[in-house]
Amino acid sequence: MNTEMQSFIKKYDLLGCIQCGRCTGGCPVTVRTNLNVRRFVYDAKTIDEDTLDELARLPEIWDCTACNTCAVRCPKGLKPVEVLIGLRNILVESGVIQPTVRDALESVFREGNPWEKPRAMRSDWMEGLEVKIAEPGEKVENLVFVCCTNAYDPKVQVSAKNLVKILNKAGVDYGFIGDDESCCASEVHNLGEEGLFEMMVEDNTELLNSYDAKRIVTISPHCYSTLKNQHPDLNAEVIHYTHLLKELFEAGKIELTREFSGRIVYHDPCFLGKQNNVYEEPRFILNQIPGAEIVEFERNRERSLCCEGGGGKMWVESESTKERLADTRVKDAKELGASILAVACPFCVLTLDDSVKAKGFEEEMRVAEILELLGEIME
Amino acid sequence: MKTFVCIKRVPDTSEAEVKVDATGKDVDSSRFSFDINEADNYAVEEAILIKEAMGGTVQVVCIGPKDADVMIRMALAKGGDSAMRIEDPRINLIDPLKVAKVLAATLKDQECNLVLTGCMANDDGSMAVGVALAEELGVSHAAMVKKVEILDESKIKVHRELEGGLLEVVELALPAVLTIQTGINEPRYAPIRGIRQAQKKELKVLSLDDIGLAEDEVNEASSLIELDKFYIPEVVSTAEVIEGEPEEKGVIMAEKLVKGGLL
Repeated sequence: MNTEMQSFIKKYDLLGCIQCGRCTGGCPVTVRTNLNVRRFVYDAKTIDEDTLDELARLPEIWDCTACNTCAVRCPKGLKPVEVLIGLRNILVESGVIQPTVRDALESVFREGNPWEKPRAMRSDWMEGLEVKIAEPGEKVENLVFVCCTNAYDPKVQVSAKNLVKILNKAGVDYGFIGDDESCCASEVHNLGEEGLFEMMVEDNTELLNSYDAKRIVTISPHCYSTLKNQHPDLNAEVIHYTHLLKELFEAGKIELTREFSGRIVYHDPCFLGKQNNVYEEPRFILNQIPGAEIVEFERNRERSLCCEGGGGKMWVESESTKERLADTRVKDAKELGASILAVACPFCVLTLDDSVKAKGFEEEMRVAEILELLGEIME
Repeated sequence: MKTFVCIKRVPDTSEAEVKVDATGKDVDSSRFSFDINEADNYAVEEAILIKEAMGGTVQVVCIGPKDADVMIRMALAKGGDSAMRIEDPRINLIDPLKVAKVLAATLKDQECNLVLTGCMANDDGSMAVGVALAEELGVSHAAMVKKVEILDESKIKVHRELEGGLLEVVELALPAVLTIQTGINEPRYAPIRGIRQAQKKELKVLSLDDIGLAEDEVNEASSLIELDKFYIPEVVSTAEVIEGEPEEKGVIMAEKLVKGGLL
């Protein structure tokens, strides 16, 4: 057994696994793919090093959405998801990866975002808005971390825009970073590029610590999760925007006067819920909307069904042709009679919105980020 | 097999709006991202595939600023052995013949079996440097290469793409220059740990003096190409939509083509 194998077993504590099957029993993608995470945890600890490479070449390692259900359910406190990410790392280090993954990672390295967009265009979404940009060294209560997807994708830029409007209206002490902001690297980690992830964590820590910020407010749960849990040397506390908005509602700084008519169902993003136990804040905010009827999915909170947008899946297409989980989710929302499928994550917006269109449900319902919804009600 | 691969750092103009700068003779590149030229990336991969199959070395050559070092290091991380970057403000970079002359001067004293480069640069699209380089070196060449077979130490067979979807299969004596068409392979990823390790590989920065060229051999004054100005083509609407049933549309279309001298 070589050093690589020993460190693999030690790193993921593979000998701690008792093969109880709680991980596979909760894995949301097993209904549509061949992924069996228990098999990988078992094989990775019992085979020789040559076969570790073979294991890494099985296509199903890319079916994992890093939703974290397996880790939440593991009675031994292991993280089976990380074994799959470790196997992805073996492939990444060999250089032979899918072109879409390659291009996303190269884009993070060169331009600080996975969307192959120029860094110089990162703040274009701010045009026409009064946005406070914080200067390094400046004391700021809430330093806002926008996220690449919110910054560049026209479908979800509205989240960042509406957050600016809300912060201005509520008189919050805040500052944005501007073009210097780089990817939080959550998806870099999930795609298995450990070297780039380590580099990004160092760079992000240096950048974010250059501000005298009390808190870092993220718009995306993916940024929230990785800044909070994988950037150990940050000086500031990391919160999600739903934490901040709940505070503002409780302090009476946000007032929603316009009546909303319709039924809203909230979909828990994995990186907010299952990964970080933030379940109540989004629901608290939705409950402030006058006239809204809030309903729940049968599978909610820690049992919430993953939309398959995380774990690097924005850049990897599953080989499975079975129904996408996002399709299942929007069908469930339609059965509940929801006119709004509310989410608090840009990836959830993109995957679920695709499904609403693919299923032809656009007449009856739409997917909306909570910030998008609030912007409409506040206007 | 000793292979040289010539790469260029180019702007990605697909995202930001292309604007002419204040001089009128260049493009404002402040909002562009930059990357290795797409076809050159395939040339790098092909060179490394040849090295992996046959043994030998891959050396990367680039004319460009220090910012190109990232692209060079990525090529080294993928399997390149060493690199030379030529940087000199006296070179007239808009003239492909001068670029070829600089590359030829860089390679002339090197032991070299094969030179690969992309078939076209994404910025100027001249498709001339590779072929001109072969002329300067006095060796054979094949352009738009889609497949390379190494027959022996002195001979290769290549498939090259012609107009109309035809492929031409030719044998070339080595040394030779090949301009590589995109799609010939699938370029690999350069992991960051590999790029960091590639910092240890040699990257020589050379000037015209180092490669033995005089300024008046490659400067603007010596060039047959004169850049007049850059301008954004005027947007005009000249499309005409023909209405009617398919049979009627066909007759009208035929009449127009005959009248326009195209049939």
